[in-house]
Amino acid sequence: MNRQEILDGIKNKFKEEIIDYFDKYEKRVFIEIKKEALIPVATYIFKDLKARFNIATGTDLRYHMEILYHFTLEDINLMVSVRVKLPKDQPLEIDSLTSSFRGSDWIEREIHEMLGINFIGHPNLKRLLLADDWPEDVHPLRCDYQEWDKKAVRDRGV
Amino acid sequence: MSVKLKALTKSPWVFHLSTGSCNNCDIEVLDCLTPRFDIERFGMLLAGSIKHADVLLVTGSCNRQSMIRVKRLWEQIPKPCLVVAIGECALSRGMFIHSYNCPVPLDHVLPVDVYIPGCPPKPEAIIAGVVKLIEKVKAEKLGKKK
Repeated sequence: MNRQEILDGIKNKFKEEIIDYFDKYEKRVFIEIKKEALIPVATYIFKDLKARFNIATGTDLRYHMEILYHFTLEDINLMVSVRVKLPKDQPLEIDSLTSSFRGSDWIEREIHEMLGINFIGHPNLKRLLLADDWPEDVHPLRCDYQEWDKKAVRDRGV
Repeated sequence: MSVKLKALTKSPWVFHLSTGSCNNCDIEVLDCLTPRFDIERFGMLLAGSIKHADVLLVTGSCNRQSMIRVKRLWEQIPKPCLVVAIGECALSRGMFIHSYNCPVPLDHVLPVDVYIPGCPPKPEAIIAGVVKLIEKVKAEKLGKKK
């Protein structure tokens, strides 16, 4: 299958679920989907199209949290990024992809501790990178993060 | 000064510890050991274990996870010992000074003897810093202030 056939296949299969489709350039495509449709879309791209799951990235934007799942189709040299937006006025939770492919295990744990997004159905959603004495409800990569450590030194002493 | 410290200036064994550095300082430290710079002519050797070391050489920005390990290593190193901080991160955390993960600089935790600035410092700077440290220890041994 060439590039156009693959992308048309995704668009036709998930007509209802795709909110936005952005063909940035020949090697990069962004697809925004509804968050309920994450597992079918990701499983289709990963298992049926035989894409490689690179990484997921989470960002804290003004009105919503955004998670991008990056998939690479190496045969046709194309990177497909599946974008999911989580509005901040609703509970920050999304389905975990770890039951579909193990590669998303650690990155979901990292997004969980850094941004405080809950991944429903993750088998082992515990802390990955932060220190053991880090407070439970503080998420360092959020926009509204405040210094909590009273002992921290933030000058160079000169 | 004690016999132990006199012996230390002859051939200081160095334990290389990275506390979350970007590896650039570590590459420069390794460069010092290659035949081009050959820091072994001053008797310096890398020690495999902290229990064999005289000098604790620290690179990196001292994050929350690694500071626990740094304190543990400091308890294990035989005294008297010397601490050398290499690179901007180990000196003052450099660009990571406002990072959530780097709360205190190294010299608030350990007594640092030599600061070698640079990002990364050149091998010449590292050698100059360590040679000055040896001279300082020798001068203290003879009762001179330097």
